[in-house]
Amino acid sequence: MSKVIGIDLGTTNSVVAVVEGGKPKVIHSAEGRNIIPSVVDPTKHIVGDVAKRQQIVNPKTTIFSVKRLMGRKFKDPEVQKDTKWLPYEVKSGREGMAVVNVEGKDYTPQEISAMVLGKIKADAEAYLGEKVDKAVITVPAYFDDSQRQATKQAGEIAGLTVERIINEPTAAALAYGLDKSHGHTIAVYDLGGGTFDISILELGEGVFEVKATNGDTHLGGDDFDSKIVEYLADEFKKESGIDVKADRQALQRLRDAAEKAKIELSSATETEISIPYLTADNTGPKHLALKLSRAKLESIVGELVEKTLVPAKACLKDAKIDIKNIDEVVLVGGMTRMPLVIQKVQEFFGREPHKGLNPDEVVAIGAAVQGAVLTGEMKEMVLLDVTPLTLGLETLGGVSTPLITRNTTVPTSKSETFSTAADNQTSVEINVLQGERPMASDNKSLGRFILDGIPPAPRGMPQVEVTFDLDASGILHVKAKDKATGKEQSIKITGSTGLTDEEITRMTKEAEEHAKEDEERKGEIETRNHADSLIYQSEKALKDGGDKVPTEIRTEVEEKIKTLREIAPGGPIDEVKAKTEELSAALSKIGESMYKGQEAPTSEPTPDADGQTSDEQSNGQSQKANGDSASDKVEEGEVVKE
Amino acid sequence: MAKTHTPNKDKKQKNTSQEELENQLKRTLADYQNLERRIEEERKLLSKLSAALLIEKLLPVLDNIENAQKHLSDQGLELVIKQFKETLQSEGVEEINAQGQEFDPRFHEAIDAQAGETDNKVARVVTKGYKIEDKVLRPAKVIVTKKVDNVNQEEQNMEVIENV
Repeated sequence: MSKVIGIDLGTTNSVVAVVEGGKPKVIHSAEGRNIIPSVVDPTKHIVGDVAKRQQIVNPKTTIFSVKRLMGRKFKDPEVQKDTKWLPYEVKSGREGMAVVNVEGKDYTPQEISAMVLGKIKADAEAYLGEKVDKAVITVPAYFDDSQRQATKQAGEIAGLTVERIINEPTAAALAYGLDKSHGHTIAVYDLGGGTFDISILELGEGVFEVKATNGDTHLGGDDFDSKIVEYLADEFKKESGIDVKADRQALQRLRDAAEKAKIELSSATETEISIPYLTADNTGPKHLALKLSRAKLESIVGELVEKTLVPAKACLKDAKIDIKNIDEVVLVGGMTRMPLVIQKVQEFFGREPHKGLNPDEVVAIGAAVQGAVLTGEMKEMVLLDVTPLTLGLETLGGVSTPLITRNTTVPTSKSETFSTAADNQTSVEINVLQGERPMASDNKSLGRFILDGIPPAPRGMPQVEVTFDLDASGILHVKAKDKATGKEQSIKITGSTGLTDEEITRMTKEAEEHAKEDEERKGEIETRNHADSLIYQSEKALKDGGDKVPTEIRTEVEEKIKTLREIAPGGPIDEVKAKTEELSAALSKIGESMYKGQEAPTSEPTPDADGQTSDEQSNGQSQKANGDSASDKVEEGEVVKE
Repeated sequence: MAKTHTPNKDKKQKNTSQEELENQLKRTLADYQNLERRIEEERKLLSKLSAALLIEKLLPVLDNIENAQKHLSDQGLELVIKQFKETLQSEGVEEINAQGQEFDPRFHEAIDAQAGETDNKVARVVTKGYKIEDKVLRPAKVIVTKKVDNVNQEEQNMEVIENV
């Protein structure tokens, strides 16, 4: 049952994901990052971030962008173009294929990529805690057979059985679950770190067909950064008269700041760029400090975004598809986080693109989904629902006691034991509630029923177990069972998640708005409930203690009970609190006096399930009963209202 | 004949679908258990990491204070820097040893090269690097030496990288 991992083997960066518990998840590298730079130094066997850090010192042995050579002949015009700027040596190998030469040794692009894949495999194994030997790897839609074959070989060299090679745009569409709808035409707009791809897919009979692809192999986030660096350097020159473009270290700091500003301006409308001590001249140190607004950024990089629309138009033309017939638009690549890009794409296609998944990870996620489908782990994406609102029941004083809290994944089941609110109460009413408010009356009542036939007993003693069972289709079964008699009563509520989105939003919003006052009201009722149960408990203690309670203590307790009883239902809350504490103090004197008298505890244990007050009633009589596992489940205050 | 066959077929289908379901249940349970284990691990990691993330953000501030000190040479500021570093130390943060060392890309990031007598030594630290326990918070940004006869040739290549 080994897992099939999904790998986005990118030109600049690679990402790996796996499906777990029916959900795709990106695996982080040993360095704790979700993306691994596709950079390798084959002479030192180092991969990723570490290899990238030594690129400047070892330009001839640090291999990056090898995907551009994958499965291509050396004479291929694309390869010829790339060799002009790639700092390492590219030459013609066996059968005229492009290979890289590092310190006199030839490496095929497959071997180089295999080192990246090997690291990915090791990271995935460390994460999953099991062996990984199967993978789905993605390739650009324009890859030809030889390039796909080479990618597959790279996987095999790394010790991975490549279960399938899939197109990057297809993976992105899969990640959004677009394979579930029929007869769709999907546009995938992929603007990454160094390349731009646009693809038109058509879904029919559960198979994605690539109708056309286009793009620009040298347009991406790095170009955006360069534009911003240029702007910053110009501004700095205006201010200080110093040209930092020649200063490589200053330039490096400008580049870091530019990237940071670009990312910040995806969420903020303005950001401050400050680089203290950027450089110095004979008048002293020079700092860069300027504000960059999103509007300014958009004017700097606007033409680059426009540039992507040219291949987009060409792609539509090649696919012979009218722009009106595009049903879905999917965004891929980190640059698609930029609001301007989203806006332009939306304007161009005339519809809102899919977003929500991390655009850097969406291709790997789709590959992982494909992997899970292949193993049968996922027949289709099983989307488990969550319950949008809390489900609970009404307890003493009109308090809403939650059983299943909101956002719990269904199916789920929860039970809790409740008790009666009055002596000799023979029936309880279960009022099933839905909503976030602490008071029952503010929430929606889904249904109610009565469990009767409870044998007469002191309050707090009967044990009624209430079970909420919410199944996958949102049907709620509520069951109440008297543990003593085994008598039970239940109700089935079908509309428990049948709320409209508006209702859910309204109820959630209301709960937030009223949070404070609700909390106060709930606290007040709890105080009153507590007073009430303490009165009951004190009376019982007096009765059980009999003559063993010294008269002066008895009188004191009785008096305090009287005062508290008068104010408990409606008196000022602070007073109720104070009087409760007084009574509680007086009550503990009973136990104290009894121990002092060296009296043995009353022989007949009287179970008292009122958990919270058990500290105060250290008169020994209920200790044994409280230790009983059944009774200590009963919670204070959660007494079903008659 | 057909009648006797159908139940068998049904049964067979039932068996396979049951097997499928059982299989799925097992996978789900296994995933769940693994998840539980990992959540525990990640929780531990996160408590460590959350401190590291904050420290990482504070490092550029320290860089700039140190930069300022280079120009100001203020006694009071010197004490502030010392205090800052002591606080980092108490959280297990260590400065990465770089100056004069052999260049090691696990801890150092080369941002430039310059002519030198030996190859591959850290000539100058531009930005200090820090690690927490054995995890690199930020590699030291350094300038690395290149033997004189190599420089000219490499220089050209580096220009190329800049343009990428």
